[in-house]
Amino acid sequence: MIPMMATFRWRQGRDRNRSFWIPLFLVWLILLPVTLVILPFFAAACLVGGIDPFRAIGTFAEIFGSLKGTRIEIDDPHEGFEIILR
Amino acid sequence: MNENRRQILEMLVQGKITADEAERLISAVEKADAPVAGDGEARAKPKYLRVVVESEDERLGGGPSKVNIRVPMRLLRAGVKLASLIPVQAREHVNRELRKSGVEIDLTQIKPENLEELVDHLNDLTVDVDDRNGKVRVFCE
Repeated sequence: MIPMMATFRWRQGRDRNRSFWIPLFLVWLILLPVTLVILPFFAAACLVGGIDPFRAIGTFAEIFGSLKGTRIEIDDPHEGFEIILR
Repeated sequence: MNENRRQILEMLVQGKITADEAERLISAVEKADAPVAGDGEARAKPKYLRVVVESEDERLGGGPSKVNIRVPMRLLRAGVKLASLIPVQAREHVNRELRKSGVEIDLTQIKPENLEELVDHLNDLTVDVDDRNGKVRVFCE
């Protein structure tokens, strides 16, 4: 399932954590027409590079759909950063 | 068909064992296989690969640094499929360069099924490094 929400948290120095979230489902809706426009060029580039465009699109779609649940957190005494894809 | 069962049936056909003996052997083989299947089902498949690093770097001062990464196993499986997209000419070029550097790996022999199997066996992977500067843990959950 594609991620629908992204949460970002960051901290600078000893300040308290700041966070915001992005409703990714709206971002995907906005990007959908852009993707459809880029798709033929991507397919052409794959053909030029000797890659099966259908397999390439399928693989990237599978990667995209597997992102849900990814979490990256980096924390040190000076700053911290966290991103969660739900 | 199970390999053990096939051998038993072949022995029966060749007359090396009787039907009763074949039946007892097949029952014994099935009993031996059943706990293994039970174990596999009881152990839930891990969903995430976790990498946790804790470092006590005195240069930073003030406390430990921490890196915590959680990656879905599905993402690893999907990422492995990227390898199959590499064109054959590119793989041969990479092989030539690897051989020049003394690395005898043939990328053309690496199949997506092998990589899938590798990802499946990551379930059993646990890396635990602990020294005075910090800890590194890699595991599946």
